[in-house]
Amino acid sequence: MVKSKMIRSIAWKNVWRNPKRSLIVIAAVMLGTTAGVFTSGLMKGWVDQRIRAAIYTEVSHLRLNNPDFLNNEEIGNTIPEIGRLTDYLDKSPAVKAYSRHVKIMAMASTSRGNTALMLNGIDLKKEKQVSDLYKDMVDGAGSYFEDYGSFPIVISDKTAETLRVKSYVLNSDALDTLKKAGMPENTSSKLLSLDNLRFNNKTQIEKRLKKILTAKEISKYGAEIVKVSEHYRLRSKIVFTFTDKNGELLNQSFRVCGVFKSGNTMFDQINAFVLQKDLSGVAGLGADEFHEITLLLNDGVDIEGFQKDIRRAFPHISALTWKELAPDAGMMAEYMAFYYLIIMGFILFALAFGIVNTMQMAILERTKELGMLMAIGMNRKRVFNMIMLETIFLTMVGAVAGMLLGWLVVLITGHTGINFSSVAEGFESMGWAAKVYPDITASFFFGVTLMVVLTGILSSLFPARRALNMNPVDALRSDN
Amino acid sequence: MNVIEIKDLVKIYDNTAVQVTAVDHVDLTIEKGEFTAIVGPSGSGKTTLLNMIGGLDQPTSGHIEVEGVDITRMKSRQLIDFRLNNIGFVFQSYNLIPVLTAGENVSFILEMQGVLQEEIEKRTREILVQVGLGDRIDSRPSQLSGGQQQRVAVARAMASKPKFIIADEPTANLDSKATAKLLDMMEELNRKENITFLFSTHDQRVMNKAHRIIVLEDGCVVKDEKMTQQ
Repeated sequence: MVKSKMIRSIAWKNVWRNPKRSLIVIAAVMLGTTAGVFTSGLMKGWVDQRIRAAIYTEVSHLRLNNPDFLNNEEIGNTIPEIGRLTDYLDKSPAVKAYSRHVKIMAMASTSRGNTALMLNGIDLKKEKQVSDLYKDMVDGAGSYFEDYGSFPIVISDKTAETLRVKSYVLNSDALDTLKKAGMPENTSSKLLSLDNLRFNNKTQIEKRLKKILTAKEISKYGAEIVKVSEHYRLRSKIVFTFTDKNGELLNQSFRVCGVFKSGNTMFDQINAFVLQKDLSGVAGLGADEFHEITLLLNDGVDIEGFQKDIRRAFPHISALTWKELAPDAGMMAEYMAFYYLIIMGFILFALAFGIVNTMQMAILERTKELGMLMAIGMNRKRVFNMIMLETIFLTMVGAVAGMLLGWLVVLITGHTGINFSSVAEGFESMGWAAKVYPDITASFFFGVTLMVVLTGILSSLFPARRALNMNPVDALRSDN
Repeated sequence: MNVIEIKDLVKIYDNTAVQVTAVDHVDLTIEKGEFTAIVGPSGSGKTTLLNMIGGLDQPTSGHIEVEGVDITRMKSRQLIDFRLNNIGFVFQSYNLIPVLTAGENVSFILEMQGVLQEEIEKRTREILVQVGLGDRIDSRPSQLSGGQQQRVAVARAMASKPKFIIADEPTANLDSKATAKLLDMMEELNRKENITFLFSTHDQRVMNKAHRIIVLEDGCVVKDEKMTQQ
């Protein structure tokens, strides 16, 4: 104990023997670790948001369907034994909430555009217990079935653009907003030429802005101008054409009562939400005919275990977990920790070269001293321990500082979020949020600390081997 | 009582183009409490002989016994422990650990020996007082003169209570005043504590203090003379 204390003390003092050199290595390790922590935090933020969106907006924990509906989204492929199934779910302590959906594929048309959409008929109260989509409503673009008239529909921002329910108008209110946000007079005056002009899509208004504003103005105010110009034609009519239960083609119009933006373009461009009673009514479906049940389980419930229970109890019903329904998010959840460690591993591997080089120089400069230590009776184990501890201290000082700095950066950006709005479309088309809130867990730091210690040990092997191979007589004769 | 017995010791360096016999059939006996100088021109084999006596180098043939234990038969690991507990070393260029204080440089060797902390502190202080540096216990080597550093090195060598101390040209880097002070101190330690000193030197002032002078030439002992005490 006493001996190791002395070795620790010498090793620590040796780190500061050449403070400038040590500080350079420490700074490199610190910056590398900060970058690693921040990158991992950013990835975790993204993955967490993706998983949250997958579970609470897109697919829930578990989705139940008639297996035939998965192959053919026919209106007749409703869930069999729905009464017994809902009884089972009502009684199961594992189930937090569930929501029954009627789903009908339909062609949506307005006077300006058309697209195919999946109409999701929902029970408002139950749906809010399962899905957080009601939190993703676009500001100033209506509401999630509040204050609606007959046959309301909530569509996505993407669909609104496709069906031209959304347009871009730079009116006097929008200009006032921009001025209040700090837009200089000479820039806002250029926008007067666009007063009350209507643009059907984002590309059109952006093209026009490029003609009247400088590149610098576009880069500074472009996104904000487009944002304040967004205009939704609420209560406008969308006509849906679909087949009813009897195989008859019918048209039914719904009026836009709200617009959502989930952050996943693929989900947004295919889904629209209407009230189940409206949809069932026009499609001729009975009160117990549903195509899908999405359900959330209580915290700590084994989802795969509950899936097996359902499959056992209802062999004719398809039960798929969120990991199966959103395999990208599922895969991320499985391998997330592995990805973080890979990132940190690469960074530490690169840093190890710098550490080894520094330690090699330190050993070379202390050849005579090491020779003396071996001559007076310091055994190989102690020499090795001293060099290893020295390397670990050097690495740990930088790593701890880097982890603290990285944690601080993650803490701040986790609060403010990082906005990748300039590349939002690209991210959202892959289902990744454009605004990310980095996050990091204590277990990640534990893993990084282990990796840093391991890097220190591995980096010390080469210089320590060099020291151990020294002959004390030759070392004492050296000039260093 | 014989502390060191050297029998027919030979060291040949044959890793160069020319084979060099550094120590050539040397037989010597060093008794307890001797204050012996090994002298000779450069390349005469002084340092090689001291390195072999100190267990730092292996002879080509022959034997070295320290209080009856043949150290030439020891393995490397055994030799390290043997050096730690039986031999004190003083080097030409002091070789103190620059990041440790004078006290820590001395106590370090005691810690390696596993001496209890209380005893370490007591003995470190006593030894540094003995070498005249009781007031410099917390000074780093860079804050000490060359002579003071070499006295710390002697204190470090003494701390482990060795059977003998080997000093390789201990005064080579010192001025005359520091040399005189160091030699007086070593002689006093030899007299009072009966510590056996074995040192190599070119320095006439050191030779004048030695009680026995062994002269080496081309690896052979050409003269072994006991001096009259002044």
